[in-house]
Amino acid sequence: MQNILIHSAEFVFAPVLLPLLGAAIVFCAKAFSRGRIAKTIEYTGAAIGLLLPWLMLFIILPNLLGGSVYEGTIGGWDKNLGILYKFDGLAWLVNFLGFSVAMAAWFYSLGAGPRGPKFTAIFLIQTAALSATIMTADLFNLFVCLEVLGISSYVLVCSSEKPGAFLASFSYLMVSAAAMIFFLVGIYGLYRLTGKLSYEGIAEALAAMDNGGGITALISLALIIAAVALRVAVMPLYGWLPDAHAMAPHAVSAVLSGVLIKTPLFALSRILIIFPAGSDAGQLMGVSGGLTALIAVIIALSQKDVKKLLAYHSVSQIGYIVCAWGAALHIGVETPAGLVLMTAAFLHALYHALFKGTLFLTVGTLIDRAGNRSVYELRRGAGILKKSGEKIPVTFISFMLAAMAIAAIPPLNGYVSKNALSYALKGRWEYVVLTLASVGTVASFIKLSLIFFPPGKNHNAIAFLENPQKVHPAMKAAELFLAILCLAGGLFSPYISKIAGSLLNQSGTVGINSIPPDLYSGGNLQKTLIITLSGAAVYLLCSTKQGKAVLKRIRERPRSFSGLFTSFALGLAGMAAWLIYRTFN
Amino acid sequence: MADRMKNNKISIFYKLQIFLAFAAVAAVLLPVFLNDSHWPVFARDYLEANGEEQTGAANIVSSIYLGYRAYDTLGETIVLLVAVSGTIGIISFTGKNLATGYNEDDFEGGNRKNRKRTVLMEVVTGKLGPVILIFGLYVMLFGHMSPGGGFQGGVVIASGIIFISLGTGGSENNILSHSGVLAKIEAVSFLLLVLASAIGLITGIGFFANPFNGNPIPPVGYIILLNAMIGLKVGAGIAYMSVAMLGDTDL
Amino acid sequence: MIDRILLLILFLIGFYGIIVKKNVIKKIFGLTILNSTIVMLFVLEGSKIGSHVPILEENITPIVDPVPQALMLTAIVIGVCVTALALSIVYRLFNSTGTFDIDEIRSKLYKDEE
Repeated sequence: MQNILIHSAEFVFAPVLLPLLGAAIVFCAKAFSRGRIAKTIEYTGAAIGLLLPWLMLFIILPNLLGGSVYEGTIGGWDKNLGILYKFDGLAWLVNFLGFSVAMAAWFYSLGAGPRGPKFTAIFLIQTAALSATIMTADLFNLFVCLEVLGISSYVLVCSSEKPGAFLASFSYLMVSAAAMIFFLVGIYGLYRLTGKLSYEGIAEALAAMDNGGGITALISLALIIAAVALRVAVMPLYGWLPDAHAMAPHAVSAVLSGVLIKTPLFALSRILIIFPAGSDAGQLMGVSGGLTALIAVIIALSQKDVKKLLAYHSVSQIGYIVCAWGAALHIGVETPAGLVLMTAAFLHALYHALFKGTLFLTVGTLIDRAGNRSVYELRRGAGILKKSGEKIPVTFISFMLAAMAIAAIPPLNGYVSKNALSYALKGRWEYVVLTLASVGTVASFIKLSLIFFPPGKNHNAIAFLENPQKVHPAMKAAELFLAILCLAGGLFSPYISKIAGSLLNQSGTVGINSIPPDLYSGGNLQKTLIITLSGAAVYLLCSTKQGKAVLKRIRERPRSFSGLFTSFALGLAGMAAWLIYRTFN
Repeated sequence: MADRMKNNKISIFYKLQIFLAFAAVAAVLLPVFLNDSHWPVFARDYLEANGEEQTGAANIVSSIYLGYRAYDTLGETIVLLVAVSGTIGIISFTGKNLATGYNEDDFEGGNRKNRKRTVLMEVVTGKLGPVILIFGLYVMLFGHMSPGGGFQGGVVIASGIIFISLGTGGSENNILSHSGVLAKIEAVSFLLLVLASAIGLITGIGFFANPFNGNPIPPVGYIILLNAMIGLKVGAGIAYMSVAMLGDTDL
Repeated sequence: MIDRILLLILFLIGFYGIIVKKNVIKKIFGLTILNSTIVMLFVLEGSKIGSHVPILEENITPIVDPVPQALMLTAIVIGVCVTALALSIVYRLFNSTGTFDIDEIRSKLYKDEE
């Protein structure tokens, strides 16, 4: 017993091992038993995988807040050969984000499907891979983790059994598998130069060389960054995301958009912090993040399919996060300003996971009941949900909370995190771009919200399903859970920001708070009012005849399979050229 | 005419796009491929001196992928597990969304089962199957001291099982190639593998640490144990996938 | 030197297969070629510092670098898994559209959604 307590440090592997154990149990249940018993074992496995890790997370939280970091070599081997891991505040925060959304999404899938042990097992494996990705400190292990993450998401996207989902999954698979091979070339370049695979080992060996590794080291770094950035889906590497996220089952969409695109980003920051060229790379990614936020929201405004609209919004919101994240890396995360930016980036990542999860689940519930997914045709959503047995309009209320959160209406969490971003970026060009993107966000959510309300005068009525399916209680619970977290995230934001700030802060400067002190001041509220009003104006502009024609052009811009690879190749070359230019000038 | 001009325009744009992608990839990769720095010898020297002593395996590649970097191997096994499970799920779900005329059973030559069976093949595969199984077990269990290991042995075992299923006139005729049995073996060996990785956590020596230290079991026992579990898991998994692709069973 | 240039050409051939070929099966071939190229690159270059297989016996020194071989074992298995999954997805795509041409598949599947 004493041994266990001494080695409690090793229990940081619980978020990886417990979901794997759960998945193994679920597979056994599927192979050995049928019916009720199998179901019981399956739920037990899911509980082991999704609930028990919380216990560990809360046990070690005080230690992490106290400034300790769990790190070492897996299996206790020599650190030049073994796999290094590092469980610090960043890993804790990403685990927190991942497990809260994954738990709600799995619960939702009980009601909405896809059901069955195979789905549960692969879902658990994906959750385990999320934790493994964020806590690894070894380049090749990062490759393996990203592949586990990838392959489980290809399968999960397919599990919606729509033909379109197979094409989306195929495009996603091809482009990200090809990118992972470029990642391997990057590992080859760095291993050839240094003979090490851990981040620290590589950085030390490169620093010991007289030219710091030269062009090969920079290009290898660019290869690795590009392959990870493809998973994060920033401009210009976002092409695979909208189809995959729109075609996946709703529960999977929530996890893909909420968690899966952010984990590789924060895992990448571990590499970039260590490498000297990382600050330049952060600068370029910050710029592309800002552009992503603006361009993707314009494309989102033009979409017809409700889930595609939400998917493009994920691209736009990840742009906000990458923008602040890149600026933080450029300034240096050790400096107070960098820390404020990083905390703001994480807060927005967490809050986006919560409100985007809610949006995918609630909109998914509605389109399944209505049998129609067009923003222009679907109306009277609240009535349809009432007809399918929702006495208290849980789905509607959750949707409205989340939509107001993403449009940054106080006191919801989106208001807090967007203000934190503006506060941290004040006086830079990104501030203007992100403000413009916020206007677009408001406009597109006015457009989306209309699906819940009665149609206007000129609206052509369309036929709906006669007897909509009942809304399962598990679905309502999951929606409500996430929506309440959205509200709580807004109300208790000072505490959350304080905890996140001190977890991300490893250098010991005290008193970092990324929440602006004048959060509810007249000026900020006035700004919100102006953004909301101009959003409404943009929406009205878009619903004119000319506006619709412009949007149609944007929506029907040419998209092709080879375009995914061209943009990857160009993004990669751009990153490599930028790193070389900055280092030799 | 206008249509043709438009097509032409698109194709020039398309060609330019392809050319740019190629030029970018070639320009980026060229310096990495041409780098002539001396290959690092640190890891080789360290392993030559200490590898066998620390892990007990004469095959240094085994000592890396089941010793120093066993955690990667766990991830790799999981990728295989998900791929097998996903592939079976995807291909076994037929009958819906079929385009007209593209159902496999509509093609000439009867159903899938008849097309694949000839007497010659049944006799040869049926006799070879057990031999291949034994060879697979050898490759799997002696991976620590000769070329081979869990993955390689597992794949050989899987081909033995496929031969048996071809030789006995249907995979459900033999207990080894029965899809239910294969699924059970795969699930149990995966569970055991996860538990084996966690032995160190329970005994207090750390995640993926070698629990055997020479009394009574020498350290190489851990590598053999992992090899056996991975071999069974890979063999059962790939055989399960292949049996599903043969199309004898309703999964 | 010449071997690495040949490998780079092989890499570009694989990339060509993925990006230019319209047939989805050929695209998957391209992916497999890319994967094999990087495996060959690692193992070939890692073997230049030694002359014996890394299975320790008397008098066999110097051995080749075993680390790239162990890494590539993992990469091969992952590559095979991804290929298998891609082929099964293509099987379903063919079942629902009756073609292997990526542009036709796209236009058939997305015609009512765009």
